[in-house]
Amino acid sequence: MFASFRLSMTWLHTWFGLVLGFVLMVCFFFGALSVFDREIDRWAMPDTRFEAQPMPSFDRVLAPAFTRLRAHPADMARTAQRVHGALPHPDAMPLQSVWAYTTHRDPVLAVGGEFGIPNQPLDPTDEHLHVHGWTTLDPRTGMELPQTSRKIGSEFFYPMHYSLHLRWKNLGIWIVGFAALSMLAALVSGVVMHRKIFRELFTFRPERRTQRSALDLHNLTGVVALPFHFIFALSGLMIFAAIYFPVGQTLYKPVAKAFEESEAARTGLPHDPAGVAAPLASVDAMVVEAQRRWAERGMAGDVGLLTVEHIGDANAYVSVFRAGTDRIALVGEGIHFKGTTGEVVYEDPPKTVVSGINEFLTGLHLQHFRHWMLRALYFFGGMAGCVCIATGFIFFVEKRKRQHAMRGLRGARWDALAVTSVTGMVIAALSLLVFNRLLPMDLPDRTYWEEGSFWLAWLLAFVHAALRTSVVARSAGMAPAWREQAYAISLLAILAVVLNAVTTGDHLVRTLSIGYWPVAGVDLGLLATALIAMIAARRLARAEKGLEREASTQDGGQSLEASRV
Amino acid sequence: MSAQALPVRIVLARVLAGVFGGYLFVWGFSTLIIGVLVAAGVGYGEAQTGVMLVAFLVFLCVFCWAFAARRLIQVYALLFGGGALMSALAWWLAATLN
Repeated sequence: MFASFRLSMTWLHTWFGLVLGFVLMVCFFFGALSVFDREIDRWAMPDTRFEAQPMPSFDRVLAPAFTRLRAHPADMARTAQRVHGALPHPDAMPLQSVWAYTTHRDPVLAVGGEFGIPNQPLDPTDEHLHVHGWTTLDPRTGMELPQTSRKIGSEFFYPMHYSLHLRWKNLGIWIVGFAALSMLAALVSGVVMHRKIFRELFTFRPERRTQRSALDLHNLTGVVALPFHFIFALSGLMIFAAIYFPVGQTLYKPVAKAFEESEAARTGLPHDPAGVAAPLASVDAMVVEAQRRWAERGMAGDVGLLTVEHIGDANAYVSVFRAGTDRIALVGEGIHFKGTTGEVVYEDPPKTVVSGINEFLTGLHLQHFRHWMLRALYFFGGMAGCVCIATGFIFFVEKRKRQHAMRGLRGARWDALAVTSVTGMVIAALSLLVFNRLLPMDLPDRTYWEEGSFWLAWLLAFVHAALRTSVVARSAGMAPAWREQAYAISLLAILAVVLNAVTTGDHLVRTLSIGYWPVAGVDLGLLATALIAMIAARRLARAEKGLEREASTQDGGQSLEASRV
Repeated sequence: MSAQALPVRIVLARVLAGVFGGYLFVWGFSTLIIGVLVAAGVGYGEAQTGVMLVAFLVFLCVFCWAFAARRLIQVYALLFGGGALMSALAWWLAATLN
């Protein structure tokens, strides 16, 4: 359909970049925030502002905590739709397996378990006959944390970047996957379009017309962070490969099942309970043994994940997995023990080359490691992605506006969508933080109000963008919506910092002097956001005044050039 | 941009080929290679993980090609035709393996 390869790639880059750019903006922005998800959690949950804790003693802390664990109402409701008859009372459901998960950045511990039910499934092939329970513990005491606030970083921003919170039939994951494929295509086609890649690494002309300097910045961020963006889009797709290409659940289901069963049989770990009650031996002793074996392999480390299958049964077994604190590849190095005696039954074998590559790419994306320099680079890589997409939008919108102005046309309103997905998104995220600090702690369903403020703020930003971009639809120059929303970002970011100081007493002087980086870091990030947004808003204001003057004097390029800094 | 001169019908045909034809092609490619590997004695888990490492790169190539190719008929023949053929072969292979 095109005269040349380059023209076809230009078309692909422009239109897929534009349409999926709105989704990619969300992926990159919330993905970058997810690098510091645990730190944002601390900021949003003042009662969890203490040092990160290792996996607590199972025998003393976790075992009593698991006796208090009950099936989660949300999973009760989901399960009730899949089975015949009413579910038993949560107190009457037997606990069948448990897990506890932590990282080197978690002061709190995520735990959960599976509860058996006597109900028959509606679908006879449904083998998932249990109800899940989960909660968050204070690992120092084993007591459940009050569920008054959501972990905004790890439970809202993090799922946002890969699922858009559209959980119905994994719709969000599919949209994000399509956007990731478009990102890969945009990178390839971008390289084809611009043959002077090396020169673009050193080209940025902020003094030039918006359209030109936006393109420079688009090329600069695109080229500098190209390997980062390519690897992240690709590894993101690989992480959800089983959703995008569910070969093992469809065509090869019997083969996959036979393979899993033979693998499980090879481990010698019992698949089913014996039906005979038996007490669990000391799990702490098993953890000590697992750590001794890791140290022997030259990879001493902390426990990240601890699971007990068939708990309370003679066939119980305990699996201890290593935390990914000190390396990129997510290697669990699981060691599995017989629950009743504590003897080692099975050790995960060394990885094959293929699984090694897969674990490396997955680990590279999920970044569980402690390397703070690398984490910061991830964050800036994600932000470079945002700048790349935002400047792509601006270039497209400005160019189109000039073309339309020349031909006296009114085109589609892409600029309102661009404003909404750039500044509007930041406004929504900041509103969530502000409302997290403003809403009373004892408000029922507090987390729903918090999230409501997020979506409502985004919607308002869209309405505002739609109203305040039409003003300049015909003339050249950036829409006033950009400037006004940049001011709003500034104010909201400062408000969030002030509210944190007022409601928790953890102001920057205090957090910096005691070196409590999770909260100090988020506050500093908010202040940096406010500063950048303020500078941007002031420059936009100056540019607008310059354009007005230009229009009133009917004078061409010179006053425009002079008015820009 | 050149897009304004393009008829919607042609653009839509290419987009459908790139997205759905590309998906069918990669589905056929992945299932066929997994089947061949398993038939050759590779463990299922290893075969699936290995194929998924390259599946999205294959998708990227055919997706871009769907827009770059001179003739639409070639695109439809390879992506839908080839994809369906490979899927059928994989289906036959899976039936013998299961």
